[in-house]
Amino acid sequence: MAPLRDKFTIHSKAVVCQDVELKGDITIGSGTIVHPKATIFAIAGPIVIGTGCIIEESAIIVNRRKEVMRIGDDNLFEIGCRVESPTVGNFNTISTRARVHHTVRISSYCVIGAGCLVVPTEDEVLDEYTVIYGPAADRRTWSGRGKVQEADLRRKHAEYLRETLPKFNRLRRGEAHGHGA
Amino acid sequence: MSPSVDYHCHCLASNSAPPPPHLPSSSYSFHPLHELFFCEECDAVRCNRCVSVEVSGYYCPNCLFEVPSASVRAEKNRCARNCFMCPNCRNTLSVVPSDPPDMDDGRSPSAAVSAVGEPPFFLYCNHCRWDSAEVDITFEKPTGLAAQLQKYEDSAPDSLEFERLKEHFEPFLRASSSSALAGPPPTAHSHHPHVNPITAAASSALARDIPGVGKYTPHPRGRRDKGPRDDMVEYRSRVEVGGSSTMGEADVEFMRHIEEVSEVAALEQRWANSWATSLHTSDLKPLRIPLHSKKSKRCPTCRHILIKPEQKAQSVRYKIKLVAANYLPSIKVALPQPMDLVRRGAQAARPPGGEGNSGANGLHAGDTYPFTLSLTNPLYDPIQVRLSVQRQIPPASTTVASDAAPVEKSRRPPFAVSLPSSAFPIAAFAEAWEYEDDEDMFGVDDDEFGFEAREKEGKAKNKTVGVLEKRANVTVVGGEVVIGKDAKGEVKFNMLVSYTYRSDDPLPEDDVRGTPSRTKAPEMKTFSFYTVVNLGSIVPRQETKMDTDP
Repeated sequence: MAPLRDKFTIHSKAVVCQDVELKGDITIGSGTIVHPKATIFAIAGPIVIGTGCIIEESAIIVNRRKEVMRIGDDNLFEIGCRVESPTVGNFNTISTRARVHHTVRISSYCVIGAGCLVVPTEDEVLDEYTVIYGPAADRRTWSGRGKVQEADLRRKHAEYLRETLPKFNRLRRGEAHGHGA
Repeated sequence: MSPSVDYHCHCLASNSAPPPPHLPSSSYSFHPLHELFFCEECDAVRCNRCVSVEVSGYYCPNCLFEVPSASVRAEKNRCARNCFMCPNCRNTLSVVPSDPPDMDDGRSPSAAVSAVGEPPFFLYCNHCRWDSAEVDITFEKPTGLAAQLQKYEDSAPDSLEFERLKEHFEPFLRASSSSALAGPPPTAHSHHPHVNPITAAASSALARDIPGVGKYTPHPRGRRDKGPRDDMVEYRSRVEVGGSSTMGEADVEFMRHIEEVSEVAALEQRWANSWATSLHTSDLKPLRIPLHSKKSKRCPTCRHILIKPEQKAQSVRYKIKLVAANYLPSIKVALPQPMDLVRRGAQAARPPGGEGNSGANGLHAGDTYPFTLSLTNPLYDPIQVRLSVQRQIPPASTTVASDAAPVEKSRRPPFAVSLPSSAFPIAAFAEAWEYEDDEDMFGVDDDEFGFEAREKEGKAKNKTVGVLEKRANVTVVGGEVVIGKDAKGEVKFNMLVSYTYRSDDPLPEDDVRGTPSRTKAPEMKTFSFYTVVNLGSIVPRQETKMDTDP
């Protein structure tokens, strides 16, 4: 298939550092933060990222499918994780070095623990409040208690980064039509 | 497996000679050097099997609080502060307040989340997101949770039963201990020479008259025994045994109707509990974190402390540390890789086909292999070391009388080891900077003095046996093993290491090194110890033939 033309739509209130690798058709919503050295590849279809997400260093987000990959609001992608899910809801946490295959759709309030591999061979949708943890990628359902506090913490985290990151990094500005390598 | 050297501790044997290395049980007598201690008073190696261990302090591994031993028992060996373990994944739990009352849109303005938090508080696992509200454990205040949980633990039926049992036996124990004190002291056990106060107390407690239990005494029908036995009231348990069997049936019923594996608490999840708990995952309770202890170790014969940690839980240092690695030369054995062999020209006769994998994958029967032993001197004085292979103990004639042939064959090792027979020096240990200037000098000295003869001898053998290299406080010596044609099993032999060191009297440095004879100087001391050298397993002959002969 023909590779998508690079088209980056970055909201004016998003913080996307200069030193990120973007490829394909990518839309980044208001208040979302993309750390330097993060990678977002829209190989086959476009990627749309909502508001208030945090994408940390060397996180990799890939869309291998034709359809639009939609990532909701207030998600946290920690250092070195790799996500290929066609859809991601809101308030999810993908922990450090976790890996989520393109067969998994993530709903909301899910937590993929550090280093967990979620690579089922058949398509699957993670229910809300699913927690995957431990070396064997065990699953359980979170009661949801404490989610307001966590959401509050997430928002403060994003707010802090919005203030701090621009002081030390050059930013990409919105509507810039780059020329991919 | 890579070649290894283990050190012998003779605590299991009656004499100091180690057991033959081919016996599987011999591995219990040999230990890696870093696990051994050295008693200066006895001048002997001690291992973890023979030292006596004492607890020198308890602490919580999570908050590192040092728990006084008096409160350890009251707190049931668990941390009484704010340390809890997730029953689901065994991570530590944190105390968190509840969410503020729900806003309609689910997105409360951030000002609404106050820093103090509101009750009820509960325990929350950051890893698997288990929380104690799932099992209906919540707290009004975020402090003193351990006491509340302990109350809960103490109300477990097993715990109550145990308390009742203790209560029941208490008067009898007190009565019998006082009568034992009044009576003649028990002589049978007390004259063992090396008992510390704790073991003495324990053994006297064991040897004490327990009413209703037969006691090992030469005159068991004492007058004292009769009284308390008659007084003993029959113990009635809180719960009848029948009750627990119905519980078992309930478990069976539960297991029959199980739908998901996760409904059943895994063994690891129930393991850390003090008492038997239910099988249901939904019943798992948060646990106070079990305490750890720091231990000190004593020499079994002279009672001197061999190792004693610092009291503070944060510290990882030791107040006293007499480890064998500071006294005995450490020995590393290596089989040189084929490339080395080629360079040294030692194995001219080796068939080129078999060369590729021999060094790494095992020893081939019928071949000869050089190996190196690198000895490192931990002492601040130079030492003279002499190595010898342990002579095989002649088999006792009675045991081999009947089936002599096979036994005889297995007893004799199917390989022959040659080691440098004369003593060689290892320079003193010193801080690294001391070597910068002296290194060359050491080498020259040694070559000039005692080693010309060996050099020649070494050359005759293609320099595989003898001193190969000397630098700083390390000397590398070479040995050679000849493996029999139809050998199998492991190349494993006992090696006696004797080293001579200068005891306290200082002599001029050159003088000592110039005359490296340990018999002459009276202030030289010799210490010997056994090691077992394992070079690896032998690849049977047939396979190598297939490889090399066609």
